[in-house]
Amino acid sequence: MTKGQTTGLGRRDILKLTAVAGTALAASTILSKTAAAADDALSLKGKRIAISATGTDHYFDLQAYNAQIDEVKRLGGTPIAVDAGRNDGKLVSQLQTLIAQKPDAIVQILGTLSVIDPWLKKARDASIPVLTVDVGSTNSINNTTSDNWGIGKDLALQLVSDIGGEGNVIVFNGFYGVTPCAIRYDQLVNVVKYFPKVKIIQPELRDVIPNTVQDAFAQITAILNKYPEKGSIKAIWSAWDIPQLGATQALTAAGRTEIRTYGVDGSPEVLQLVADPNSPAGADAAQQPAEIGRTAIRNVAKLLSGQTLPRETYVPALLANKSNIADVVKKLGIG
Amino acid sequence: MSADVQFASLPENSTTKASPASGKLAAAALRFGSLLAFAAILVIFAATAPYFLTVGNIGNVLGQSAISGVLAIGLTIVLIAGGSNVVTGGIDLSLAANMGLSAAVYATLIQLGFSDVVATAAALATGLAIGIVNALAIVFAGIVPLLATLAVMNVVAGLELVLTQNTVLPASTDLLTALSSSDGFGIPILAYVLIGFTIIATAIVQFTPLGLRLYAVGEFPEAARAAGLPLKSLVVGAFVASGFCGGIAGILSVAYLSGSTTGSGEMLLPVVVTALLGSVFSRRLVPTIGGTLISTLFVGFLINGFQLLNLPSTLVSGVQGLLILIVVSATTLLRKREI
Repeated sequence: MTKGQTTGLGRRDILKLTAVAGTALAASTILSKTAAAADDALSLKGKRIAISATGTDHYFDLQAYNAQIDEVKRLGGTPIAVDAGRNDGKLVSQLQTLIAQKPDAIVQILGTLSVIDPWLKKARDASIPVLTVDVGSTNSINNTTSDNWGIGKDLALQLVSDIGGEGNVIVFNGFYGVTPCAIRYDQLVNVVKYFPKVKIIQPELRDVIPNTVQDAFAQITAILNKYPEKGSIKAIWSAWDIPQLGATQALTAAGRTEIRTYGVDGSPEVLQLVADPNSPAGADAAQQPAEIGRTAIRNVAKLLSGQTLPRETYVPALLANKSNIADVVKKLGIG
Repeated sequence: MSADVQFASLPENSTTKASPASGKLAAAALRFGSLLAFAAILVIFAATAPYFLTVGNIGNVLGQSAISGVLAIGLTIVLIAGGSNVVTGGIDLSLAANMGLSAAVYATLIQLGFSDVVATAAALATGLAIGIVNALAIVFAGIVPLLATLAVMNVVAGLELVLTQNTVLPASTDLLTALSSSDGFGIPILAYVLIGFTIIATAIVQFTPLGLRLYAVGEFPEAARAAGLPLKSLVVGAFVASGFCGGIAGILSVAYLSGSTTGSGEMLLPVVVTALLGSVFSRRLVPTIGGTLISTLFVGFLINGFQLLNLPSTLVSGVQGLLILIVVSATTLLRKREI
């Protein structure tokens, strides 16, 4: 709603974004083809693989979800894909029904651990193997994810370095119940501990779903009014990059571009902002959600063929900042 | 107001009166047609969807319907006592938010180290309190239920945000584990809770003088007043009962989701749809507890069957919307004819 007015996203930018998305898609198909060659022996023929997504409204989720469905089909299996639309009640009902459907495996993408874990346990009790994407659970055999300890540390060090080791930092911490977000946040706190002049402003902000961008925009605008002096805030941190998007827009709108924003996921629109030298977007740790999704499904195939899986499978993430954005985008194959 | 409508449509009525049989036939078609449609859908799912006809799956649907069922039954009581005109009649829009706040109260108290007994009492008290506020606003301040409960809904949702900071509050206790478990046949305990709750609600609303008075107040308020019924007390009672149902649903929701979570407001529309749809499953096309239960299960089986058939769940809300549109327009038309 406020998006058009506040970002100053012109038609040309939108065109650019579309081009980025398009090349991303093309590149990821190439990537998947090369990966496919490596795992040629894998097959899910005759297998029914359940894919349960917490929601698909975010770039990361949608990429991982669609890549999983495609990968199951490519390996000859039948996907049973359900999307809970970020509604916990729906998520639990769907998991319950999935357990009754007795698929050959269930892959759960994200979700609040305390909500889903009892049901993952019930699936395990019903002898259905459970694998997860981006949510570590004692009831899952394997979790495919980015190395969130690495992401959290890299992002925090980048932030501290950018602000010269001192100043006030605003933090969005609305999803501490979601494991990857918790790890990233804890790493931020660990790093900041050794830089006594860096202060996280209390109270921390709560990012919300849905309307994440608008809400972050409104919250940051309010904070800026509270701290009107330039330099009184040095950076804004969030555990993912959609609040970062709203925060960055708010900074631009208020002319406070001396403040830097930090986030995780590598959503194309945020990478575009990092690439813009005039934008306050400082850094974005780019994950490879589609590759994460495909890896999770290949892990299912490996498991069903009798191989043993590691506890966690890490898919590399790259920290994109103002100086290396061109390289990162090239490496991610979306440049 | 209703009198005006009747006078205005008098000439039309006299022409349609020529064939009262056709009206009855249509009503019968709608009455049994809806049941037949439900049965047909069940048969189709049973024939095409694998695992549909297993005890575990049917139990699952019952269990999954428990929270929305309790809320919809609460709303049905309000619909009965307030009259089922969607705009001027009884409605309680605060029910879903009520469930969210009651759940948040429960989870918060558990996290603070209180027992299940204290948390249960507090959650039910929260529901009751919301019901009382609704009743005061409607009966004593004279605000239209649609607006009064809308305002209360916002207040309650705000309180929930304050209490939870919009985060998930995990809660795990013996009572919650027992509620979210299944029995030896694989039937969730929540399924029994729904059945038990429906039986009690049906007994009170459909088989006691109190229930009959609720219908009288809702359908013929002037006649009820003339007969000396305590109109205000009955309407107050209905809203308080509805609030109480919100509290119960809150506890069930904590059990089902292993804590209090965000987004309870999303339950509102499905619950309103379910309660309104309930009328079509009753003999006289009025809101009944049994009708609401059938309608809850109808929606539950629809969602379940779609997933078993591997169809996108996004279709379900569309189908639900379509159904409510058909049902409400059909009942409205038939009602007019019956008068």
